[in-house]
Amino acid sequence: MTGPADTSRLDGFVGLSALLTGFAPVQLLGTGMAAAYLAVLDAVLPEDIVGDLMSAYRQLPRGPERERAAEAEILGDPRLGPVARNLIVLWYCGAWTQLPAAWRAAFGASPLDTSRVVSAAAYQAGLQWLAAGAHAAGANPQGYGAWAIGPKSAGSSGLERGGA
Amino acid sequence: MTKDAAFDTVIVGAGVAGALIAKHLTDAGLTVLVLEAGPGTSRGLDDYTRHLERFHAASAKSPESPWPPAVGAPQPDTTALRDNDGYFVQRGPNPYGSSYTRLWGGSTLHWLGVSLRMLPEDFRMRSRHGVGRDWPLDYTALAPYYGRAEREIGVSADVADQSYLGVTFPEGYDYPMRRVPPSYADRVLAAAVDGMPVTLGDEEIAIRVRSYPAARNSIPRDGYRPAGAVDIRTDDGPSVPPRQGERCQGNTSCTPICPVQAKYHAGKTLAQADRRFLTVRVQAVASRILVDPASGAVRGIEYKRYDDPATAAHTTRIATGRTYILAAHAVENAKLMLASGLEGPRGQVGRTLMDHPALYAWGLAPLDIGAYRGPQSTSGIEDLRGGAFRARHAAFRFDVGNDGWRASTGAPDTAVSDAVMARNLFGPALRAQLGATLPRHVRLSLAVEQLPDPDNRVSIDPACLDPLGNPRPVIDYRIDDYTLAGMAAASDVARAVFRRAGVTDCTDPSKGSWFPSVFYRGREFRYHGMGHFAGTHAMGADPAGSVIDADQRAWEHRNLFLVGSGSFPTMGTSNPTLTLAALALRTADRLVEELAR
Ligand SMILES: Cc1cc2nc3c(=O)[nH]c(=O)nc-3n(C[C@H](O)[C@H](O)[C@H](O)COP(=O)(O)OP(=O)(O)OC[C@H]3O[C@@H](n4cnc5c(N)ncnc54)[C@H](O)[C@@H]3O)c2cc1C
Ligand code: SF4
Repeated sequence: MTGPADTSRLDGFVGLSALLTGFAPVQLLGTGMAAAYLAVLDAVLPEDIVGDLMSAYRQLPRGPERERAAEAEILGDPRLGPVARNLIVLWYCGAWTQLPAAWRAAFGASPLDTSRVVSAAAYQAGLQWLAAGAHAAGANPQGYGAWAIGPKSAGSSGLERGGA
Repeated sequence: MTKDAAFDTVIVGAGVAGALIAKHLTDAGLTVLVLEAGPGTSRGLDDYTRHLERFHAASAKSPESPWPPAVGAPQPDTTALRDNDGYFVQRGPNPYGSSYTRLWGGSTLHWLGVSLRMLPEDFRMRSRHGVGRDWPLDYTALAPYYGRAEREIGVSADVADQSYLGVTFPEGYDYPMRRVPPSYADRVLAAAVDGMPVTLGDEEIAIRVRSYPAARNSIPRDGYRPAGAVDIRTDDGPSVPPRQGERCQGNTSCTPICPVQAKYHAGKTLAQADRRFLTVRVQAVASRILVDPASGAVRGIEYKRYDDPATAAHTTRIATGRTYILAAHAVENAKLMLASGLEGPRGQVGRTLMDHPALYAWGLAPLDIGAYRGPQSTSGIEDLRGGAFRARHAAFRFDVGNDGWRASTGAPDTAVSDAVMARNLFGPALRAQLGATLPRHVRLSLAVEQLPDPDNRVSIDPACLDPLGNPRPVIDYRIDDYTLAGMAAASDVARAVFRRAGVTDCTDPSKGSWFPSVFYRGREFRYHGMGHFAGTHAMGADPAGSVIDADQRAWEHRNLFLVGSGSFPTMGTSNPTLTLAALALRTADRLVEELAR
C-alpha cells in the first residue's frame, strides 16, 4: 500500500536523486527503479540517516546557490556524503558499494552493506549507459546496424545498415 | 557397472567440435551417443534466459559470469587467476590466462565469434619461417572445409574484404551472410589509419582497419537460412522447431552471452541433428578411456553420471561404440588421455600447449565515436598476421573494440566510480563529464602468436582431484622471447596507430583491471588469455612428432579420434574455432566413409 506520506517521501527521494545525478525526475521515474533504490537505502542504513539525508535535501536553498549548498551540506558532510555518493553510483550503475570502513566504524555497520549489483533490472537501468549515449551491455539493444550510425554529435554519414 | 547399448560412435563433449561431428554422422544414419559433462541448462529458452539474468545481476561481469559450473564438472575461471585458487593447478612461471565452459554447448556459449581462416603460411611455419612445425595439411586441403564450416556455424563477411596475405576463395564463393556492418568507430579509425606504413625488421607493411568474419547473424545471401535461438524442452521429446535466426541486435555482450542467440553456439548445431539417431546424455563426465592393451583399440568410455549439479554424488557407467571421439576441449581431451594412462607417442599428450596471450591498449578519441554500442568488435587490423618477420618474432592481430574500456578497465562502472568517489563530481557536472568522455573510449586487443614448446603442458597429479575424483589440469606455461618480442612490436604499432588517429593513449596497466605481468628487455607487459587453448594433442605426418594424424585419428588407437584446437601443430594468429570446425567436418567425412561401409 502506498499512502500519501510514502508518495511524498518518494518524491523527495527522486528530487534528491535528480540533484545528485543530473538527470530530471521524469527520467529517473522512467527507469522504474526509484522505489527499489529507496528501499535499498532503507534496508542498508539506520533509519535516522535516510531521514537526515532527506531533510538536508529539503532544507537546501532554491536558486543559484543550491548546488554549492548541496556540496557543502550533503556531499561534504562526513556522515551524509558517503551515502550520497553511493546513491549516485546506485543510479548510474545499479550497484551498491560497501561504505568506507571509517564510515562503518563511526556510524554503524550493517550486514546488508555489501558491494553488489542490486538486481538484473537495476543493472539494465543504469544511467551510465544513457550518459554515454549507449545501452546496457546485454540489454536494450539499439537494433541491427545501429552501431554503424554516428553518434548524435557526428550526424550520420555514409552508413551501411544493409537492406532492411 | 552398467553398460550402455553400443552406438556407432561415442562422442565426449557437446561443444562445437562434437556437435558438428554428431550432426554429420546422424545425417548419414549412424547412431551417436554424446556424453556431456555439464548440465543441459542452455537447451531451453527459459533456462537460457535465466543464464542471461544471472549475467545482468552479476557484480563481476566476467566471461564466466552467466555460466556457473556444476560441482561434478568444474571449469577454469579467469577471476581465480590472481590468487591461483581456481580449477587449474598453475605451476607457472607464467599463469595461463584463459577459460572454457563445461555446459551443453561448450565454450561457444561465451565466445566472441571471430571466425578468421588461417593464412596459407600458418600451415608451414617450419618450411616458410624456420620456426615451429608444419601441419600435415595445407590451406588448399582445408579450404573446402572452411567453406562448409562457414555455412555450418553461420559466418557473416564479404569475400572482398578477406582476400589478403595469400587467403584465396574459389571463383564465385562468398560467405553465407553479408558482413556485419562495421561500427562508426571502425570507420573513424579507418579514415585515419588506412594505408599507414609499419616497419617490422626490413619489411614495410601498410595496415588498414578491416571488417572481420563473425559468427553472428546478419543479412543472408542466396537463400541461406540463419539458425535462431534453440529451444529443446525435453531430453527425447520434440524440440520446438528452430526459428529463422534473428539478426544481431547490437547487444554488445557476445562474450559472455548473446541475449538473442544471433551469435553461433554449438547448441544450434545439436538442435539441427537428426534426433532419431542422436542420444545426448548430459551431466555425464567421461573419466577413463578403456583400451585393449594388445591392439590399442578403445573398448569403452567410463563416465560418471550425476543427478544434482550441486553435489558430487554420482554413478559410474560405461559407454561403448565402434569408434570414439574426444571433443571435450584441448585441455580436457589431454587430461582424459593422461588419466587413462595414455601418454601418446613419446609422451606427447598434453604438451605444446599454446594460447594467444593478448595485451590491451586503450585511449581517448578526439571526438565522440559512439563507444559502448554494437558487437564488442566488428573490425581488426590483420596485415601483421604474416610476413618474413615471423622468422624472428611472433605475428599479431588487433581487434578494434566497440565496447570502450570495459575489458581493459571495467568502465563504464569504474569511470563512474572514479568521477563520483575520487573526483567528487555530481549533478550536471558529473553527467556532462561522463557524456564527454565515455563515448570517446577506444580499445585495441593485441593478440600475439605463440609457438609450440614441449615444456608448456597440461599434466595430472594424483594429489589434485576434483570433487568427482577426476584429475584437475596441472598447467606449466611460459611465454618465450619469440612471443615477448611480438608483444613489444605489437605495442609499438598500437602506439603509432593511436598517434596517427589523434587518440590520447591512456594505456596504463596500473589503472586497468588486474592481469599477470611478463618482462622483456626492461619493458613490462600485462597479458590476458584469449581462450585459444591449442596444441595438446597435435597432428602430424608421423608419430615421431605428433599424437594424431591429419584425420585426427590417434596413431596408437585406430578407433579413437581427438578433435578440437588441441590438434593444431601451430596456431598462427587466427582465433581457432573456424579451423577446428573445418577439421571436425573433414574427420566426419572420413568417419562416414568408414562406418557406412
Ligand atoms: C572468452 C572467450 C572468447 C572466445 N572467442 C573466440 C572467438 O572469437 N573466435 C574463436 O575462434 N574462438 C574463440 N574462443 C575459443 C572457443 O570458445 C573455442 O575454440 C571453442 O569453443 C572450442 O570448441 P571445442 O568444441 O573444442 O570445446 P568446447 O567448446 O569447450 O566444448 C567442449 C565440451 O566438452 C564438454 N566436456 C569437457 N570435459 C568433458 C568430459 N570429461 N566428459 C564429457 N564432456 C566433457 C564440455 O562441457 C563442453 O561442452 C573464445 C574463448 C573464450 C573463453
Ligand atoms: S552484438 Fe549482441 S546480438 Fe549481436 S551477436 Fe553479439 S550479443 Fe548477439
